[in-house]
Amino acid sequence: MNINLKESATIALNALNAHKMRSVLTLVGVIIGVTTVIAVVSIVQGLDSYVKNQVLQFGSDTFTVQKFPNFVTSFEEFLEYNKRRDLTLEDMKAIEERCSLCKAVAGIWDRSRTVKFGMQSIEDVDIRGVSVNAPFMGQVMELASGRHFTETDIDHVALRVIIGADVAEKLFYGRDPLGLELKIDGVPFEIIGVAKKTGSFFGQSMDNFARIPITMYQRMYGSHESLFINVQAPNEAQLPQAMDEVRVIMRARQHTPYKKDDGFALETAASFIDLWQSFSQGIFAVTISIASIALIVGGVVIMNIMLVSVRERTREIGIRKAIGARRRDILVQFLIEAVTLAGAGGLLGALLGIAIALIISKVSPLPAVIRWWSILMGIGMAASVGLFFGIYPASRAAKLDPIVALRFE
Amino acid sequence: MGTSSGAATSVEETRKDMGNNGDRPLIVTEDLWKTYEMGSEQIHALHGLTFKIERNEYVAIMGPSGSGKSTLMNVIGCLDTPTKGKYYINNRLVSELSDDELAFIRNKEIGFVFQTFNLLARATALHNVELPLIYNGTPAGPRLEQAKAALAKVDLADRMTHKPNELSGGQRQRVAIARALVNNPSIILADEPTGNLDTATGVDIMNLFERLWEQGNTIVLVTHEHDIAAHANRIIHIRDGRIEKDEKVR
Ligand SMILES: Nc1ncnc2c1ncn2[C@@H]1O[C@H](COP(=O)(O)OP(=O)(O)O)[C@@H](O)[C@H]1O
Ligand SMILES: [Mg+2]
Repeated sequence: MNINLKESATIALNALNAHKMRSVLTLVGVIIGVTTVIAVVSIVQGLDSYVKNQVLQFGSDTFTVQKFPNFVTSFEEFLEYNKRRDLTLEDMKAIEERCSLCKAVAGIWDRSRTVKFGMQSIEDVDIRGVSVNAPFMGQVMELASGRHFTETDIDHVALRVIIGADVAEKLFYGRDPLGLELKIDGVPFEIIGVAKKTGSFFGQSMDNFARIPITMYQRMYGSHESLFINVQAPNEAQLPQAMDEVRVIMRARQHTPYKKDDGFALETAASFIDLWQSFSQGIFAVTISIASIALIVGGVVIMNIMLVSVRERTREIGIRKAIGARRRDILVQFLIEAVTLAGAGGLLGALLGIAIALIISKVSPLPAVIRWWSILMGIGMAASVGLFFGIYPASRAAKLDPIVALRFE
Repeated sequence: MGTSSGAATSVEETRKDMGNNGDRPLIVTEDLWKTYEMGSEQIHALHGLTFKIERNEYVAIMGPSGSGKSTLMNVIGCLDTPTKGKYYINNRLVSELSDDELAFIRNKEIGFVFQTFNLLARATALHNVELPLIYNGTPAGPRLEQAKAALAKVDLADRMTHKPNELSGGQRQRVAIARALVNNPSIILADEPTGNLDTATGVDIMNLFERLWEQGNTIVLVTHEHDIAAHANRIIHIRDGRIEKDEKVR
């Protein structure tokens, strides 16, 4: 056996080179298919590591107690959840007192308000009423300067505030805000701490907040909204037991009858990741079906172009056979040509997909992770399409009778 | 690539058989027929041809247009198959050979020169001459050497990188002859090699064939010009697919 692969590839590349424009047009379907896959894979990979990163920051020993779960998938569901009782400070206190496996419990209320310093103001700042433990659990808040709230601040309903990095930047331009006065809805607060910058989550800044004692929040805004409760177990292993304890406590408080569903949602970082993963798998499934259609259409186009090429080059095939090319030499030549053609489309598609992913990550909050193996994947995908759809034209070429091929005009 | 060792073995056998049949005629045909069905009509392009060709003969095949010369050449060249009759090359019955074995014979045993040159238009002279070597797996180094040597034999050493459209008709035919020679075939078949050339160039090409014959090659050449046939040492006259006269000259 002596099929000369390198020679066939050179022959194929020369032939491709001779029909550049036609080759590119031929490849539109394959390029679209590969571009779609690579762009989506890059974005989903980006989201994946991003989500995992963000969610894992939340802490694997911590869970949340909320009225609504993190994801509500239908309006009917929303109406159902909406009937639930709001969670209150009393619920939080009950968990704190009666749950033996709860190391720490924190409560948070929040709403968007305008804050002011002198004549300057910022709208839509996330005003959070927090309990003492809040900064140390879940999404941990670290300080750049100043101090955290103490039990005394909470108990005395202190007019004190800890501001996020965005608020500090926008209102104080590098001046030290500690000790200065921030007005929230006209009420003056003393700034006792500035948080470190944490960045953004899906384009949403996470540093645009002002934290006040939860008691102060209740006095200013009442308690007509459900409280967000964070609970920390002693460790990850005891998380399920801690959750069970909280479930029992909450069901008792809400007088939930036996066999009826909880009137609240208990969620962990892991449950969030599970949800995300089933969501991203859905994205992949949709992408793959779209891309397969494009690839199949692209494959059929390649097959047709190869058939045209075989016809146009009938005489060439005749010459090659006349000087000793075997069927498989011709078969391999045209297969390599189809694979090279499609593979080139795959390379183009992969590069285009990466470019699109990068552009999307620049102009939108969606992140992208570029994996270099995705180029190989794109080429591989396209090359297999070329191989599959090249078989028919290549075998047509291989089966040509030498004398018939030579006589062809 | 060891998928079809069966085919490879039989090609090896073909090679061996050809090696030890030096005393048998190179070409033997027995009652060769080629019949074309044209609607209800039958055209016998070959009408029961029987003849032999020995090694180092220089045979001219003559006959009017449509007498079956090309058909005969194509059968001898293993490009076409007879409808009936037997054809042996190097004592191998061609009708028994597999597709791969036929390709092997076309590659190694036969050098075909066509009236219309049949070069690959996009390839250089050198690449055109290399092609038969590519198909028998000659490694790149010796391949290049042999192709250059073949081009030198036809006085085209200085035109290696030219493509066919950058060469004159005579030069193109010499590239084709170099391609036919490059594997040292047992027989060179030329179907009206000067048919597309002017007289002076035709004479050059005929001198080249003469030289190749003197170097020991076996040549079968189709022509309808007596001047050209006069170069040969045997002339087979064909008419309506039959041998009219088979004469020794010179
Ligand atoms: N493919 C074909 N189909 C039908 N008839 C053919 C074909 N090839 C050749 N012939 C006929 O066979 C006869 C011999 O043709 P050919 O060998 O080309 O003659 P020559 O080369 O001597 O001019 C002619 O009558 C020709 O028309
Ligand atoms: Mg003819």
